[in-house]
Amino acid sequence: MSHGNSNMRLTLHIWQQSGPAGRMETHVLDAVSPDVSFLEMLDMLNEQLIAAGKDVLAFDHDCREGICGMCSLVINGKPHGPETETTTCQLHMRSFNDGDTITIEPFRAKAMPVIKDLVIDRSALDRIVAAGGYVSVNAGNAQDANALPVPRHDAEKSMDAAACIGCAACVASCKNASAMLFVSAKVSQLALLPQGKPERTERVGKMVDAMDAAGFGNCTNEGECEAACPKGISIANIARLNREFLRSLVMPD
Amino acid sequence: MFQIPLRLLSTSIGRKVLMSITGLLLVGFLIVHLLGNLTLFMDDGGATFDAYSDALVSNPLLPLAELGLLLLFAAHIALGLRVSLQNREARGEPYVARATMGQATPGSRTMLISGLLVLIFLVIHLLDFRLHGGEEVHESIAAQVIERLRGGPGALIYCLGMAALGLHLSHALRSSLQSLGLADTRCYPCLARAGRFLAAVMALGFASFPLYFFFINKA
Repeated sequence: MSHGNSNMRLTLHIWQQSGPAGRMETHVLDAVSPDVSFLEMLDMLNEQLIAAGKDVLAFDHDCREGICGMCSLVINGKPHGPETETTTCQLHMRSFNDGDTITIEPFRAKAMPVIKDLVIDRSALDRIVAAGGYVSVNAGNAQDANALPVPRHDAEKSMDAAACIGCAACVASCKNASAMLFVSAKVSQLALLPQGKPERTERVGKMVDAMDAAGFGNCTNEGECEAACPKGISIANIARLNREFLRSLVMPD
Repeated sequence: MFQIPLRLLSTSIGRKVLMSITGLLLVGFLIVHLLGNLTLFMDDGGATFDAYSDALVSNPLLPLAELGLLLLFAAHIALGLRVSLQNREARGEPYVARATMGQATPGSRTMLISGLLVLIFLVIHLLDFRLHGGEEVHESIAAQVIERLRGGPGALIYCLGMAALGLHLSHALRSSLQSLGLADTRCYPCLARAGRFLAAVMALGFASFPLYFFFINKA
């Protein structure tokens, strides 16, 4: 896999779309260093397109350090590409070989339509969080750290769930385009902590309703999402979401 | 009072919970069915099996149990179709390149297909031994079963049906317990193994009858 300083020649099959319909286009890119990131490689492609007087390719990115959740892309059939727990911006071309053909597509879900080329509208996820993924109490000043005892395991699990950056790789990898891993992380991070408990019953119902209303699919418990997640969010959160939902039915406020 | 069933029917998680409960109850039925069938292995010309069958048929509660079973199957199938159709809708434009992340199994990928194959098998099975093709039959049920399973086509249909059942059940346990919120990180590998074991026991257990009567007890 390692290529030292040798540069790579790549054939890129990329989804391009400006109206309601799109198509796969092929580009050839030369002299790609194995040390550049995947997004820098796309920057190189865009410079080549500009030099040729063509439209640039639109793709999402922001922090380029794996924490913002803006970058996406299904690369050779895998969300965020071939490396585990790695966002597209943290993926480097050393993960590919000279002469490779790389297929690049947007994350696909009816609830997350393509805006242009590889850019999708992920506001459905925002609507789910807006439906209940918050704590609506005035927190006031920081209180004594030991005033609210939190068992260590709960704190750890909550922090693990809170690692979700909302990139939607779970939706993209799921054969049903289900957003259950995302919703389960957002429900879990609050349900496990004392600050989130007062609203846990109301929260889970509202967030599940928002998820269903957006048109995401159902969870068939394959676990593909967990493997695709750049933050390693566990499907144990989905089991917790299911428990929280059932709890809200049998123990309503 | 109707709040809970309505919520279960109208939400994605609720429908999966109902599928899990109906599915697990159907597995319970299969286990009892398999245990009852084991009497076919007794070397008494099917007398024990016939006695078992008579005990069931003469029980006044049988129609009620059959109705319950019918409702379980109907609910599981209807919910499965509803969920599957919704899942197909949810993707929209398909991927050009598709790679699995390594967690999918043949069972998890084919729940709809294997489920429909089991349904086809179920119809054949009911026509064989419950509805008797609409004809009035007076001979012993054990004799009918053995005759059907000794024939090549019969043995083949029953073995294929059980292969579909095994495939379907291989994803059943871990999926249903996860949908019910009863699974956690520590037990996923164990659950997957237990699920495969359950599927193998069920499929091989039921397939043992056509195999036994086709290959061994040809008499």
